[in-house]
Amino acid sequence: MRTVLRAMARNRGALGGAIFLALVLALAAFAHVLFPQSPWDMAGAPFTPPGQDGFLLGTDSLGRDVAAGIAYGARVSLLIGAVSTLAALAIGVGLGALAGYAGGLIDDALMRVTEFFQTIPSFILAVVLVAIFSPSLASIVGAIAIVSWPPVARVVRAEFRTLRAREFVQAAEVQGRSRASIVCREILPNALPPIVVLASLMVASAILLESALSFLGLGDPNLMSWGFIIGAGRSVIQLAWWVSVFPGIAIFLTVLALNLLGEGLGEALDPRLRQGTRL
Amino acid sequence: MQDGITRRQALAAGGLAALGLMRVAEAEAAGIAPKRGGLLQSVITPEPPILILGVNQQAPTLEVGSKIYQGLLEFSETLEPKPLLAKSWEISADKTRYTFHLQPGVLWHDGEKFTADDVIFSIMQFNMTLAPRARAVFASIKSATAPDPMTVVLTLAQPFEPFLLMFDVTATPMMPKHIYDGTDYRTNPHNQTPIGTGPFQLDHWQRGSFIRLKRFEKYWKPGQPYLDGIVYRVIPDSQSRALALQTGQIALTSGNDIEPFDIPRFRAMPTLAIETKGWEMFSPLAWLELNNRVKPLDDVRVRQAISHAIDRKFIAERLWFGTAKPATSPIASTTRYHDPAAHLQDYDPKKAMALLDEAGLKPGAGGVRFTLRHLELPYGEVWTRLSEYIRAALGKIGIALTMESTDPGGWASRMSNWNYDTTINYLYQFGDPTLGVERSYVSSNIKKVVFTNTEGYSNPEVDALFAKARVAPDTASRRKDFYAVQKLLIEQVPVVWLIELTFPTIHKKTLHDVITLGTGVQGCFDDVFLA
Amino acid sequence: MSSSPDLAANVPAPSASLQAGLARSLLGLALRGAARLAKMLAVLLAIAIVNFLLIHLAPGDPATVLAGQSGAADPQFIAQLRHSFGLDRPLLVQLWLYLRHIAMLDLGTSYTQDRPVLGLILDRLPATLLLTGAAFAFALIAGIALGALAARRAGKATDTAVTILALAFYATPIFWVGLMLVLVFSVWLGWLPSFGMETVGAGYRGLDHWLDVGRYLILPALTLGLFYMAVYARLTRAAMVEVAGQDFIRTARAKGLTEGRILRRHILRNALLPVVTFAGIQAGQLIGGSVLVEAVFAWPGIGQLAFNALLARDYPVLLGVFLCTAAMVVVFNLATDLLYRLIDPRMAP
Repeated sequence: MRTVLRAMARNRGALGGAIFLALVLALAAFAHVLFPQSPWDMAGAPFTPPGQDGFLLGTDSLGRDVAAGIAYGARVSLLIGAVSTLAALAIGVGLGALAGYAGGLIDDALMRVTEFFQTIPSFILAVVLVAIFSPSLASIVGAIAIVSWPPVARVVRAEFRTLRAREFVQAAEVQGRSRASIVCREILPNALPPIVVLASLMVASAILLESALSFLGLGDPNLMSWGFIIGAGRSVIQLAWWVSVFPGIAIFLTVLALNLLGEGLGEALDPRLRQGTRL
Repeated sequence: MQDGITRRQALAAGGLAALGLMRVAEAEAAGIAPKRGGLLQSVITPEPPILILGVNQQAPTLEVGSKIYQGLLEFSETLEPKPLLAKSWEISADKTRYTFHLQPGVLWHDGEKFTADDVIFSIMQFNMTLAPRARAVFASIKSATAPDPMTVVLTLAQPFEPFLLMFDVTATPMMPKHIYDGTDYRTNPHNQTPIGTGPFQLDHWQRGSFIRLKRFEKYWKPGQPYLDGIVYRVIPDSQSRALALQTGQIALTSGNDIEPFDIPRFRAMPTLAIETKGWEMFSPLAWLELNNRVKPLDDVRVRQAISHAIDRKFIAERLWFGTAKPATSPIASTTRYHDPAAHLQDYDPKKAMALLDEAGLKPGAGGVRFTLRHLELPYGEVWTRLSEYIRAALGKIGIALTMESTDPGGWASRMSNWNYDTTINYLYQFGDPTLGVERSYVSSNIKKVVFTNTEGYSNPEVDALFAKARVAPDTASRRKDFYAVQKLLIEQVPVVWLIELTFPTIHKKTLHDVITLGTGVQGCFDDVFLA
Repeated sequence: MSSSPDLAANVPAPSASLQAGLARSLLGLALRGAARLAKMLAVLLAIAIVNFLLIHLAPGDPATVLAGQSGAADPQFIAQLRHSFGLDRPLLVQLWLYLRHIAMLDLGTSYTQDRPVLGLILDRLPATLLLTGAAFAFALIAGIALGALAARRAGKATDTAVTILALAFYATPIFWVGLMLVLVFSVWLGWLPSFGMETVGAGYRGLDHWLDVGRYLILPALTLGLFYMAVYARLTRAAMVEVAGQDFIRTARAKGLTEGRILRRHILRNALLPVVTFAGIQAGQLIGGSVLVEAVFAWPGIGQLAFNALLARDYPVLLGVFLCTAAMVVVFNLATDLLYRLIDPRMAP
């Protein structure tokens, strides 16, 4: 009885997360409708407090509307989160599948490479990569992908090793089907659930990573992002707290929603997790 | 100015005594007499890598090094030369021969005598090798001789009116020949223990923490310096510096020590004085640099339109919190030969759009007429804000800017390869348009090197005016040329001048005679006192 | 900053007799140690090579930066600088020289500060170790306490509260937590200093000095610690719930031991092992997070050194910091690994 109740509570979390994400997606999609002017425009007097002159969340040191910044920032955060996760998945699934399916020396070598990337402090590596290739959408997505693929590779490799030994895969091999066909049609679909769960968590950490880079001034200078607004508000926090506070709340809620959704997905896709080893 | 020099020469004969007396008199009139003693606590940002001037010419090195080393001359806030290691000087009628009479009884910190040999070594060897600025000017010295140990004669190939400006400590510091002659100046072991003629010598340098200077007891001005010593603390964080100033732990800040947004609250403190003077020698002028090779920036109407689209007052007041002044001319208002009547295009977005229409650049989809790349200047937050302001301002007249950010190395290399459409730049003016302004606009200086005419502006008329002013021996004709060139440049807008930067010096009111020179805190401080 | 999807893999079987394989495992430990050491060196070499190549891909070089800062430049001046930094040599030669110097612990000289890089790093290292050490201790103690509390009351309101709290800190950007703490405790309440590491020029000595530093340490250590506290709390809870379901706990319960005793003596002890191990591995990653925290609080550690070096394009410093942090991570991993094997001999191969 208790287990069922808890599962419901958890589902409620996942549901809440999903609804909130839908709202963020809508905000991103309709940013240009809600705020027809560019978020970079100096719409009002600098340092207008929240609620005055029609600025719901106030303005920053140049008189830019913080609310507009958050709406347009949602686009950037979601875009970077999604694209960099896809890129990380491409690297991670590719290498993990190769290692898990091939085994032997290839597996060994690929796992050494994976370990190597897990050893380097990931945030510092991302900072160095973005700085060297100068901040742009491409370099940020690339850097996030490069520091976040190793867990994918490990999970995929483990799944492939297990699945490869299963009867239905061996049966397919005996039938003489091509490797590509076996990997794509037999193994990959069965390895998908943990990858999906992992992906939703990776979008969350990608959003966090992007905001940290932007905060340090390593964001794409053409894209209004949440981390950028916080970074630009830092030095004037004594004059205008609202510039740093609201975008932070936006990041927090979005990341939280993604985490809740990821956990909900994990439980739905893997009944074993209902036993309570939730992480 | 020709008369000026002779007048100054007359003054210079007894200059030192007269000057000293005048200062003391001023102070006494204010009810405060110079008092000997006391340690000045200041701050230095960032920590200089080395204290040897010439080897390093960055602002922090200059600020500390100028207490240890001296030049032949120093310069007032109106950039008049004043005697220092040269007690007087003469200029021949044809303006090609400069004779400096050196101050007698000057000793190096190691006890050796300072002589004409040191002067010639410093000019012709040390600074010629190390400093690009000195090299450019001193290359035209035909001969440098010392008829006696207290006299130096320099003969130029042709007249060069701003020549004296090169003898400030920030341009040509006097270095000890007996230490450096025949060595690699950059790696000389004595670089750890600087030997100069200045009123202070290095006492102790705890890297990462503080630099402590102490009074040089055998300094050549009797009774001076007044201060027992100066401590420069290294406080890398701007908020900690502001706090230290607020709580009275430090008595003097300068340059970028205090962030613009903190200035208003220090203005309100009755114990502190804020001075924006003391940067006249450098007069940094910031501008929006336009690559004149890129279409449609090659069209003068487009450049004028951009100039009309920018509200310089907003920049000075909102971004720099009143510590900068709107620019009015390519020659900063604190530099010699600035035309007081000069003024730039007014802030008038409508006129800007009309100019763009006239140039045939009609708005397309989304009101965008054309798109340019904009390379941010990676020197800190306020410069990023400035770029964002410019993007918004130009967006209003239909010019879209795509921002590109980079690090200082990337910026310098993109500039030297002319690989940009627009960017922000700021340059020192060094007191005279020939020294600090000409380099940005004459076609002979279109080079693949930073801080040259990187925008690629080329106009034979401008070239001719600068060339004429360079060699014109008298002030009146130079003034005429420079006024003409200002008018021409303002009309042509090779770059869009934005603001004149002034770096506020903030000090306790108990600290006296801090800013008395056009080089401000980069003076030698032998007359600064606490009372 | 890394998320941790493979945490569950580390939950071990309960510890039984320690002495049985001790002698055998010590030998195994020595062999294993040698192998790990060789691997560690290989990883360090790879890191050095990768860093070197990456940073040399960058546009612009320090000669142009320095020339720019001197306010004027001509090609001759830039050529002089490039030569004196060895930047005019072939890339492979530069790499070889770099590796040879690293082997002798010579990390080169900073372009902008004219000082040996190793000295710069060693100067800043204590501040970073103090910050990360304090944050780590706080995260571990608070995380285990919260996790144990949640596990003890699994399914009740306390559990939900702890879970939500952990989830919240896990989802908050670390730099924003820092800013909010500054806003509340420094700007609004004025209780704690917000920037730096000590009161400048106060001249405190002895205990007063450490109390002063302690006041400055609270906010940055909390900021860095809260995220990891969330991680450890979730991990502890999971491990304890897992252990609680195992046979030997049922045996203990059957023997009539009190719940409190079972929790302390059996569950917690066995659940802590994976937590501590994971924490040991994570300790290295704390240094990455400290870059951000040091930026927010102007804490004078190597994170700030690295970031300033990055802005000034001071390659040797950047390479040095990167190499040192990676080396620290490798050493932490090795130490945790060996310690773990010593505590739980059955993990030895």
